[in-house]
Amino acid sequence: MAVGGEAVRRPSRPFNAWWILITVVVVIYLFLLAPLLIVVAVSFDPTDAFRFPPPGFSLRWYVAFFTSETFMKAFFRVSLLVALTVAVLATVIGGMAAVGLVRFLTRGRALLETLFLTPIVVPEILLGAALFLYYTRLKVSTSVAGLIAGHLLLAIPYVVRTVSAGLIGIDRSLEEAAMSLGASRAQAFWKVTMPLIRSSLLSAAIFAFIVSFSDINVALFVAGPESMTLPVHIFSQIVWQPDPTIAAASTLQILLIAALLAIAQRVFRLRVAL
Amino acid sequence: MSRHGRLAVALLAPGLAVLVVFLIVPLAMIVVISFFTYSPTRIWVPVPTAENYGKFFHPYYLGVTWTTVKVGLLTTLACAVLGYPLAYMLARMRSRWLGLCLFLLVTPLMVSSVIRIFGWLVILGKKGIVNSALEAAGLGAMDLLHNVTAVVIGLTELLLPFMVLPLMASIENIPRAVEEAARNLGATPLQLFRRVLLPLSLPGLVSGSLLVYSVAISALVTPALMGGRKVRMLGNLVYDEVLTSLNWPFAASIAVILLVFTVAVMVAYLRTLRALSRRGGRA
Repeated sequence: MAVGGEAVRRPSRPFNAWWILITVVVVIYLFLLAPLLIVVAVSFDPTDAFRFPPPGFSLRWYVAFFTSETFMKAFFRVSLLVALTVAVLATVIGGMAAVGLVRFLTRGRALLETLFLTPIVVPEILLGAALFLYYTRLKVSTSVAGLIAGHLLLAIPYVVRTVSAGLIGIDRSLEEAAMSLGASRAQAFWKVTMPLIRSSLLSAAIFAFIVSFSDINVALFVAGPESMTLPVHIFSQIVWQPDPTIAAASTLQILLIAALLAIAQRVFRLRVAL
Repeated sequence: MSRHGRLAVALLAPGLAVLVVFLIVPLAMIVVISFFTYSPTRIWVPVPTAENYGKFFHPYYLGVTWTTVKVGLLTTLACAVLGYPLAYMLARMRSRWLGLCLFLLVTPLMVSSVIRIFGWLVILGKKGIVNSALEAAGLGAMDLLHNVTAVVIGLTELLLPFMVLPLMASIENIPRAVEEAARNLGATPLQLFRRVLLPLSLPGLVSGSLLVYSVAISALVTPALMGGRKVRMLGNLVYDEVLTSLNWPFAASIAVILLVFTVAVMVAYLRTLRALSRRGGRA
């Protein structure tokens, strides 16, 4: 009888547990997304009272953002410029390193791989502090170039990891087949392997862009008045005069990053890079 | 050198150059400066001393270290508690919602932390959403920021995905059949978690915890904006000593201590991650 009773009750139990789990997960997602949702909502508030839900809808703070010279400079002439440069440089340098590691090394590969991942191990604020002292010691002014170098360090490990993962998945006999059909080694690489790792290169570039575009910890130390990035400008605005222009600027950053990640997810598995 | 070897060097050289010039040399410089003597007029003089490390044992700095460790541990705990159900759900999902759920997990991670902290300031600030609700309900406004809880909330939200991703990988490696067998033998959900899921997903939990902890203890922006003067962590000390007090030898010594600490935690993290991928490979 006891067994029979169990059999009747059993199917409903996992079902209930599953619904409890879903509810819990939805609440956790709300917690995770709350600050972003609030920032987006506040950016459309016609007043500057930071209320939720906003009492109306206006684009006033977007107008304020696009007419603010400092915000424009921070967004377009510093953050965007630095992030695009970092995306290109990190993908080229890191992509070359990945090919070197995966295709050309057997001895010493593990050691060099570890070396290329070290920037992840070092806390970002220490990279920032070390670079600031280093630049000051060398009497190099803290400029856009210094910032690009710092962001390259943050981005290269992501690129090496993403492109290596792409390369490891490729059967080398494809290149060998091309070579036996008369292609040179270089031709075989460019015409056979390159198209196959295009998607990992693209995701690597996207990740490099995002890492640079949203960095605050390195930029807080390294960025000078002439190279104030958007996150650093937002930071100082929060400290000195918080108004919803910050929310408008933040919303634009969130949209840009979400769009790029959506592209990355289409061409690549997000989890490989992280 | 063979053609093969020359090509390898050419491919790796630019990356290695960046690492040496902008990572290894600056970090080595920090270590050296940390043993130099502070001079109010010239910032440092190259006279070797261990005084900077000695200064660290002053009760104030020990207090800051304790706050840092405490915030790190609480954040790790909160991430584990919130991250487990999320990771379990994602690991067991087969539907087309999985892509969307992963996207919603990774997007906040990629948005600048300063923006997410700004969101929390709008929620918890003096005239924030919670306080206006409290006032509307007839209760007075409270200072919800400037305490350890606020900093832990901010960091937990910031670092939760770092816990979920390795944990999810670990749970995916547990065959569903194991879970079903436990359930068929009459295990309650709690027993299933404690006796089956938790022990089998321990590597993921450990690597997620180490990652969250190591990033949490080097936090700067979160305690600066959400903790103010009341909750100061080692990162804030480094920032102030480098940019405000200009005591670079002392700043360097704190940086070295923080570096040694996080590198130790991160090495442990990479080890567990490697063990995890080996296990996954065999499964």
